[in-house]
Amino acid sequence: MPDPKESDVILRVEHMTKKFPLSGGRTLTACDDVSLRVRKGETVAIVGESGCGKTTLLKTIMNMQPPTSGRILLHEKDITNLTGEARRENCRHIQMVFQDPTSAFNPKMRIRDIVCEPLLNFGLLKRKDMAAKARELLAQVDLPADFAERYPHNMSGGQRQRVAVARALALEPEIIACDEATSALDVSVQDTIIRLLVRLQREKGITYLFICHDLALVSLFSHRIAVMYLGSIMEKLDGDRLEEARHPYTQALLKAVFSTDQEKNQKISILAGDIPSPLDIPSGCPFRNRCEHCRDMCEKKKPALRELAPNHSIACHYPLEIVTK
Amino acid sequence: MLLQVSHLDVTYHGKAEPTVHDVSFELERGQILAIVGESGSGKTTVIRAVLNCLPRGAGISGGKMSFEGKDLLSLSPGEWRSLRGSEISMIFQDSGNMMNPVHTIGKQYIEYIQTHSDVNRQEAYDLAIEKLTLMNLPNPENIMSSYTFELSGGMRQRVGIAMAITFQPKLLLADEPTSALDVTTQAQIVGELMFITRGSGASMIIVTHNIGVASYLSDRLLVMRQGKTVECGKTKDVIEHPQADYTKTLLASVPEIGGKRYA
Repeated sequence: MPDPKESDVILRVEHMTKKFPLSGGRTLTACDDVSLRVRKGETVAIVGESGCGKTTLLKTIMNMQPPTSGRILLHEKDITNLTGEARRENCRHIQMVFQDPTSAFNPKMRIRDIVCEPLLNFGLLKRKDMAAKARELLAQVDLPADFAERYPHNMSGGQRQRVAVARALALEPEIIACDEATSALDVSVQDTIIRLLVRLQREKGITYLFICHDLALVSLFSHRIAVMYLGSIMEKLDGDRLEEARHPYTQALLKAVFSTDQEKNQKISILAGDIPSPLDIPSGCPFRNRCEHCRDMCEKKKPALRELAPNHSIACHYPLEIVTK
Repeated sequence: MLLQVSHLDVTYHGKAEPTVHDVSFELERGQILAIVGESGSGKTTVIRAVLNCLPRGAGISGGKMSFEGKDLLSLSPGEWRSLRGSEISMIFQDSGNMMNPVHTIGKQYIEYIQTHSDVNRQEAYDLAIEKLTLMNLPNPENIMSSYTFELSGGMRQRVGIAMAITFQPKLLLADEPTSALDVTTQAQIVGELMFITRGSGASMIIVTHNIGVASYLSDRLLVMRQGKTVECGKTKDVIEHPQADYTKTLLASVPEIGGKRYA
């Protein structure tokens, strides 16, 4: 990338590889040489189908598991192998919102205790100030103050996801990582949650790492999109220029999205075959056995991520020619 | 007219108000009807009522249903058994869950065929292989000797569809058939559903929360909310000229590539 103002980059993933050893001497490569830069105040979406390594990438960034090799840098500080108190302190900077808001909470805790728990953990809040703080946090996510006394089961899925966002906001982190944060919700509820996240970003300059499988959704609010397939990043591009994607896999994903617009549905084309098992990643380009443009080179050599244009990089030997609007 | 449902009410045990109230629709031969709505809108309850397999404690408390002119509500359990699985069949969200994990797919498939028709094992096996091949499953012999957990989600769903179309049913009911699948697999399964219904002239009712899938597949669209019909009509009309406010809000919240960005 020529001109990412270096000072704006707050999180960097450098050549991160994560392998899981399995029985019988086999290994599962969940992430293979993944590099990513995240700039302050931006939303970076990581999209891909199941088994593409997006959750593994997030767990590594969140310090939930160490990578096999590579580094994670937050403000140029290596956070890859933090332990003990240093690791705990690091949680103040990165918080998480999970897919299923029902299982993300202790059902026996009141909402007040749930949203204030991170602050109590870090000794930033006195018990007597809890009620006021809970009200303030709930107001940020547009929930009425009396929700503080409720239990998680007394609310709808969308309201629970708002509570999850309020809890993530409590420590005023720089980065919030959302793992499929809207995929368990109905479309109209999803719409309101995304609006909330976008508004909070504008007000507070929060950076989001947003893991999602819905390409149409992320194209509507993320600044940068990284498309993953079988542990590798295939293409990185700006969120509002998704339609200019030149990787055959990204294009295949775009053409698999059903729309309410019949004209767009005419363009639906079906990608044949199943995703190979991550235990059995094809040699060369991971996508080659499903790619209709596959040539000899693709079998022999794995394409490295290279820059095609500013803010657009791609891991493909033969990028598609796309007519730009 | 293949199926006619009028003023259907479904009530769960112990509830005064019906969960599904006054739902009516008609289905011609070869037509595809999509029922869309958010969770709790009663869309699954409606198609379960059509197959008379409502959960325990729930029952049809009002309205009429007729299939090829036959009154469905007056059928005996025996008549239902001969109708289900051969004339009307169902595709579930995850076909892996409808099967027994400790028996091979082949064993269950053959048992199913022999329950509904008078054929020997070999004939049943051949019929199963034929249907699996039709669903673009590679190595159908291999699938027959596999267990459900050995297959991917997309393959399990293909097996479920193959089983559902075994007896060339006149009506297929599909309950969220692609919701558990990845984007590219979803496109494959939707393509195959389109192929089998158009190819065999069967009718289908598909329940889905994915409005894109519904508008791609269906001829008619029924929008439900809180157990009631919000809007029902030709898919094109409902999508392009929604009348009800709820339909408008629902359509506006569907993310579209190249749509309006959140700002």
